[in-house]
Amino acid sequence: MEAAPQELVLEPAPEPAPEPAPETKDPPFPAPQQKPFFKQKYILSGHTKSVASLKFSPDGSNLASCGADKLIKLWDTYTGEILHTLEGHEEGISDIAWSFNGEFLASASDDKTIRIWDLALGTEVKCMQGHTSFVFCVNYNPNSNLLVSGGFDETVRVWDVAGGKSLKVLPAHSDPVTSVDFNHDGTLIVSCAMDGLIRIWDTDSGQCLKTLVDDDNPICSNVKFSPNSRFVLVSTQDSTIRLWNYHTSRCVKTYVGHTNRTYCIFACLSNTKEKYIVSGSEDHKVYVWNLQTCQVMQALVGHRDTTLAIATHPTQDIIASAGLEKDLTIRLWFDESSA
Amino acid sequence: MNESLINPFNITHPTAVQASLFALGSFARFDPSGRFVGVGRFDGVATIWDLDTKSAVRWLDGHVKAVTSLDWSRHSRYVLTSSKDWNVIVWDLASICDPPQRHATIRCDAPVSSASFHPRNSRIVLTLLNTGEVYLIDLRKAPHRGRTELFEPEGDEDEGQGQSSRRYAMTVARFDPTGKFVFVGTSGGYILVFNSRSKTMIARHRISGGSGSLKGLDFAKNGRRLVTNSSDRTLRQFIVPRYLSSGEFLEQELEPTHRFNDPINKTAWHAVSYSPDGEWLAGGAADAAMHKIYIWDISNDGQFASTLDGGREPLAHLHWHPSKSSIASTTNQGNVLIWHSPNAERWGAFAGGFEEVDENVEYEEREDEFDIEDEAEILRRKKEAEQEEVDIDTIEGESQIHEPDEVNGSVIGGDEDTRWADEDADDDVVTWKMRIVMDDDI
Repeated sequence: MEAAPQELVLEPAPEPAPEPAPETKDPPFPAPQQKPFFKQKYILSGHTKSVASLKFSPDGSNLASCGADKLIKLWDTYTGEILHTLEGHEEGISDIAWSFNGEFLASASDDKTIRIWDLALGTEVKCMQGHTSFVFCVNYNPNSNLLVSGGFDETVRVWDVAGGKSLKVLPAHSDPVTSVDFNHDGTLIVSCAMDGLIRIWDTDSGQCLKTLVDDDNPICSNVKFSPNSRFVLVSTQDSTIRLWNYHTSRCVKTYVGHTNRTYCIFACLSNTKEKYIVSGSEDHKVYVWNLQTCQVMQALVGHRDTTLAIATHPTQDIIASAGLEKDLTIRLWFDESSA
Repeated sequence: MNESLINPFNITHPTAVQASLFALGSFARFDPSGRFVGVGRFDGVATIWDLDTKSAVRWLDGHVKAVTSLDWSRHSRYVLTSSKDWNVIVWDLASICDPPQRHATIRCDAPVSSASFHPRNSRIVLTLLNTGEVYLIDLRKAPHRGRTELFEPEGDEDEGQGQSSRRYAMTVARFDPTGKFVFVGTSGGYILVFNSRSKTMIARHRISGGSGSLKGLDFAKNGRRLVTNSSDRTLRQFIVPRYLSSGEFLEQELEPTHRFNDPINKTAWHAVSYSPDGEWLAGGAADAAMHKIYIWDISNDGQFASTLDGGREPLAHLHWHPSKSSIASTTNQGNVLIWHSPNAERWGAFAGGFEEVDENVEYEEREDEFDIEDEAEILRRKKEAEQEEVDIDTIEGESQIHEPDEVNGSVIGGDEDTRWADEDADDDVVTWKMRIVMDDDI
């Protein structure tokens, strides 16, 4: 998910703070005797431009990446080897999503299309047109018969996957939509945008059910439902990640410590035995918080540029992260301390 | 999940048509998850429609004559179709090929009027032939395997009627929601109850006052109430008696708790269906010129609630959604109307921290409302509020979605009938999901 490619150029690139020891495997803080112990295991290189999104397959065996180089790459999670490269998009790709059984991959691109890829065949099987500007985010519903997407045309769209048709166009926001997600049973959609609003929609009727807004209206980068869909995790460009109870419209947890002022950085929930919040940062590190205490448990050092795309493994303590232009690598971090 | 945000007080009956599916069907049935409808057609094809996308996702092409009924296994993996071509076909929607292959074919000795799965095991099938016979067909391995006719034993003196105790043709056959019993309606207006395991008749009920031939049967989900549709154009609701597990034969006249009919037009009924909570009853009128659904409020002593008008195409069939306030009604032109109860759009939802009120409220300012507070203090309080642990895993209300433990007053799982049904279980699991098949037109 690469923030506003056009506008991006105009932004003064954040100074690459010279890392004292960029390849340090064990960051000095926090207290090293406390979990987690994520260590860099693989460096995956292949992308020639910024990596915009990373997603683990539902069973965790594969990692998909996409980026400004118009390519989708599939990697083996456990060996770090490249498996496939899918090409077809005419512009950079901002987001990807896996169908529930790992059979298909959907990609959202600046060429205004969403494409669906059959991974067994390794080919494009659907190209869905309708967005009038860059498509920035995409996600499947749990049954994978619907897709939701958001883009720079400020709409949220719901798509019939099998038919490749647009089912609903929600005039959702007044600025580019940066992130969309379905809840665990697919009845709700959450969307957030650069207008600083987080809205919850009824999938069936397309009605807006709730709007969450923080006092200062910071630009929203990324949103997702918690596994039980009682909360939404929102990262905003005031360098803060918040966990909202959307029933009561109250923020129940706040995670700070990282830097996020410019890009739409992903925030993820690692829901294995221990529960962490994981996010990239513009200081080139990857931050890991304890879900409950909101303390930074570990900061992963290694990347040489802003870490934008982050993914957490569905069942194991594995984090994938990717850096922007000056870095271009995808790194896999494993916590093997309990194994 | 979305219900808690929409409106907790809108448990009601459907009021408006949400979508019309051009399905060419003669009837449509929701699956137990409520995601699909299965449509049976005159040309022998059955189609599966995805209600999220309102489009057909599977074609089950196996019969050479009209499909007469369709049933779903409890987690929607298997679909059963019966047809006038003397066959019952079981389809496996989890099969990797498209169109799906048939999982089993049951050949009968006459056109099949209806067939259904046992509620706990899709390897037990109940079939009703149009010759008026009912068979319980067990597709499991030996010793279960077999085909047993369910019949009214002859010989016992029929209340002195002597020779005239001829057997009536069976016109409707259904499992009750527990699957322990088979309820059979006859052309003579009797309800016969069989034990599914022993296949013996355990009760015979005459409908008090007589009713004419039985055409349809539906159970409320908890299995305690039963509604019948009969040729005298009246729907009757009964309380289902408790049947003894000792197997003693029960001969009892049943007195309906309610009778529903159309007092003005005296129309007959094509179909009848309970709402999932059993609080509403929908009757599809056999009106020759109109598509009309009558709704009665069972929780309000069976009072007539409303008529739904579905336009000019007469109604052929209807079925209530397994969990929502929604009905699928089929027109005689083959279109399937999906009814829902729409919610008014709440515009207040678009503004954060904004709440709509129905009536004006005099606002009373709190004593400290506009006091200037120390920012550090606010921050501290906010921090404190965030100390509380959050639970991101437990899904609310998850447990009540799945089969209730107690149906019809007896605990499931413990008794012999249930164990019998669960032996050699099918592989229809909760976690099963249907694959997405892409349309070819790229």
